[in-house]
Amino acid sequence: MNQTASHRLAPNVSLTIIAGFLGSGKTSLLNHLLTQSGGRKITALVNDFGALNIDSELIEAQHGNQVSLTNGCICCSIGDDLMRSLADIMRQDPLPDHLIIEASGVADPTRIAAYAAVDPQLRLDGIVTLVDAAAHQLHAQDPYLADNYHKQIEAGHMLLISKPDLVEDSQVEHLEAKLRASYPKTPQARVRHGHLPIEVVLGLQAETGEQTTPPHAPQILSTQIEDHGLASWSAHLHGGLSREVLAEKISSLTPHVLRAKGVLRDAQGAYALHYAGGRIHFEDLDVQPSGHFVLIGKPELPNAQALSDLFQTASA
Amino acid sequence: MAHILAQSIIRHKPILFLSKTCALVLSHAEAMLGLGHFEKGESFVSTIYQAKSIRTMDPHQPHATHIALKDRKILAVGTAQDVADWQAAWGPLELNTDFADRTLLPGFIEGHAHMMEGLLWDYHYVGYYDREGPDGTIWPGLKSIDDVVAHLKQIQATRNDPSEPLIAWGFDPIYFEGRRMTGADLDAVSGECPVAVLHASLHILNANNFIMDAADVKNADNSEYIRRDDSGKPTGEFLGQLGMYMAMRTTNLDLLAAASSPKTLQTFSQVARQTGVTTCTDLANPVPEGAEVAMRETVEKDSFPMRLVVAFQGNSLPPEESVARMQALQDKQSDKLRFSLVKFVADGSIQGFSARLKWPHYYNGAPNGLWYIEPDRLREYLTAFTQAGFQCHVHTNGDECTEVTLDAIEDALRAHPWPDHRHTLQHCQMASRAHFKRMKTLGVGVNLFSNHLYYWGDEHRAITMGPERAGRLDDAGGCLEEGVPLAIHSDAPVTALAPLFTAWCAVNRVSSTGVALGGESEKISVEQALYAITMGAAYSLKMDTEIGSLEVGKRADITILADDPIEVGAQGLKDISVIGTMVDGLVHLNKGRDA
Ligand SMILES: [Zn+2]
Repeated sequence: MNQTASHRLAPNVSLTIIAGFLGSGKTSLLNHLLTQSGGRKITALVNDFGALNIDSELIEAQHGNQVSLTNGCICCSIGDDLMRSLADIMRQDPLPDHLIIEASGVADPTRIAAYAAVDPQLRLDGIVTLVDAAAHQLHAQDPYLADNYHKQIEAGHMLLISKPDLVEDSQVEHLEAKLRASYPKTPQARVRHGHLPIEVVLGLQAETGEQTTPPHAPQILSTQIEDHGLASWSAHLHGGLSREVLAEKISSLTPHVLRAKGVLRDAQGAYALHYAGGRIHFEDLDVQPSGHFVLIGKPELPNAQALSDLFQTASA
Repeated sequence: MAHILAQSIIRHKPILFLSKTCALVLSHAEAMLGLGHFEKGESFVSTIYQAKSIRTMDPHQPHATHIALKDRKILAVGTAQDVADWQAAWGPLELNTDFADRTLLPGFIEGHAHMMEGLLWDYHYVGYYDREGPDGTIWPGLKSIDDVVAHLKQIQATRNDPSEPLIAWGFDPIYFEGRRMTGADLDAVSGECPVAVLHASLHILNANNFIMDAADVKNADNSEYIRRDDSGKPTGEFLGQLGMYMAMRTTNLDLLAAASSPKTLQTFSQVARQTGVTTCTDLANPVPEGAEVAMRETVEKDSFPMRLVVAFQGNSLPPEESVARMQALQDKQSDKLRFSLVKFVADGSIQGFSARLKWPHYYNGAPNGLWYIEPDRLREYLTAFTQAGFQCHVHTNGDECTEVTLDAIEDALRAHPWPDHRHTLQHCQMASRAHFKRMKTLGVGVNLFSNHLYYWGDEHRAITMGPERAGRLDDAGGCLEEGVPLAIHSDAPVTALAPLFTAWCAVNRVSSTGVALGGESEKISVEQALYAITMGAAYSLKMDTEIGSLEVGKRADITILADDPIEVGAQGLKDISVIGTMVDGLVHLNKGRDA
């Protein structure tokens, strides 16, 4: 009885839930996320780690239903009881920085997210729902599963359109437009074979009112990532750039912008900016800001020159 | 539970001390009293038990008065006239008259219960109905929130360490008009330690503010699994497994850790014995590596008063590994411990609005329920286990789930034909006649959750199903008429483990307020109900050649009753006192009963 009302614990484990139907690409995505932990200690709770197919060079040790990776990440199989698996993980010392739960194909992800609401050490970072472009028609009309399918999409703080390469481009665009019409505030991205920068998936900060920075902040990307079908743009923004103006500029880029990060200064002082899941957070800083600013978005983002113009104007 | 028994503690009549020859095993007292144990390998004294009435469930000879036991098995069944012939052919056989005023039935078989029943008795029962504990104590039902609070206060006042978490179970507020329990109610028990009350369904939990503060339930979150008052403040009630998780996290107690411990098993078997159960299931268990050895050590003891059939939780591993684990368990079995079934849970519960229903879904308009395994995945598992030759039991509550599961079984059987698979649908509460017809064709059996009629019947009429569909809930009559093998169950600890009560529910079909569900076509007779809790359940476990009836060659598993249920009839079935049981011919007398 050492964790009771007498001392409340900081919510220091971020929770990301990966939802999506069987075959929608959750395992491939997870596999790629685990290889780009970038210093975060990630624990992944998965349905079947045999299916994960982790590169054997990455595996440090395996005990029962737990695999430790050389980069400090851990993979556990859920077995039949998520509640107990989760409780076991949250009893571990030290706790992971980030917990990723692979929801079962028919799970209601909001039920899983609810654990974060009652666990003082767990903070919901976001629900990422995979939508299988090739099977969308099938799933949306499945007599037994359509309601589950829509529930999962509705629950997503980010929608990842998987297998876009298996169907006509126009079909993917049609799907994206349909999803945007139903869920205008939910950011979307395409994902092929699980390839996606981890920054797009983690750090959605879905739980409002909380702005904790993960203990191991992700490295800011500075190169264009075209093989993922995503564009990124980074720059050093000099001079004061007010939070309000910056927020406005970023929202002018929706729905094409997915993530933005920056360490900047304005009249009120230094601040960090996080934009994810359609929401923007500012955090006061005590340090000298680097002026580093990065945007990740879809190929439809304005080109580098246009972005430069947009933000330099703001920065002037 | 409704059968209230006299609490006189006349444990052992003198006659028991004299009848060492009848291989008495008095579960607790014998060691202290110096009575001889009956150890395995010792020769079994052949005995003829004389009874007032023996209901055999054997059509060749449904009624008898004498039964001869030898080598833990049934040697002969008949009447006083047969005794001389038996003596001549098999003698010497001692005549035992301990139960000459009693009625003997085949040992009852509970085809769907959970070992957790044994664990919960470590905590405090606060249910609405009287419930008999493992030691024969009748815990009186608590009829209001105030009664529950008062009962817990009394416990709190007498505990050695009042700062330890106080856990109660069995609470069911659906019978209370007006308000629901709040954190403040439980703060009245104590504000200085965690107090948690687990509901009968096991899927709702009430916490006191001590736990709520420790959990720091976030007001900003609008989770539908946290009940809130009109001002939006959490009331202390948590839905789904959330409450259990929170209680575990904030108390650092693993409420389920002891689920397979010897103590849990002991308690489980004692609850079973009190209600006449000689073979009980644990449906299901992930049987982690090594658990089978620990279980067997406990179950093998002659003082352990039941056979245990553990259903392996099929989806605790991916299909291939799961089949391999099941294969590995096969040579860990014994006469008393079986790993012969594989269990899957395909949907949720009707009262929890998580069962998968066909249109028009829930009567109150709640959205359709949840799949616990996706249909394609279920098909994959059922196909793998059908190919490997393992019998599967699938929990299907809603009718849509029943249909999808039958589709999956049909596909599995097309791929791997198996005439006597006996795959069984568990609960299967909303099955229609069309579903039963299909089960018959496919060779699928059913184990219905008849206790639901009584405990949740009113709720099903008013809220979940509406009167019309609630009328066909757990349609045992329809099931038998369509020729589907039938068993009925309690799902203990969800409802009380007590086959005679379950039989009463299937026979009478009335809710706790006395409202009828359905008509004559859904009811079954007393004889059919008794068959369901003996041979019906044995068949569903593929043990009908060993147990389930009293006939020559079967194991000597017998339930000893104060009265003959056939004579008592439909109304009094649930109130018949269980004197004790015999397992392998060894007598296990109940606590709080007069032999
Ligand atoms: Zn059950």
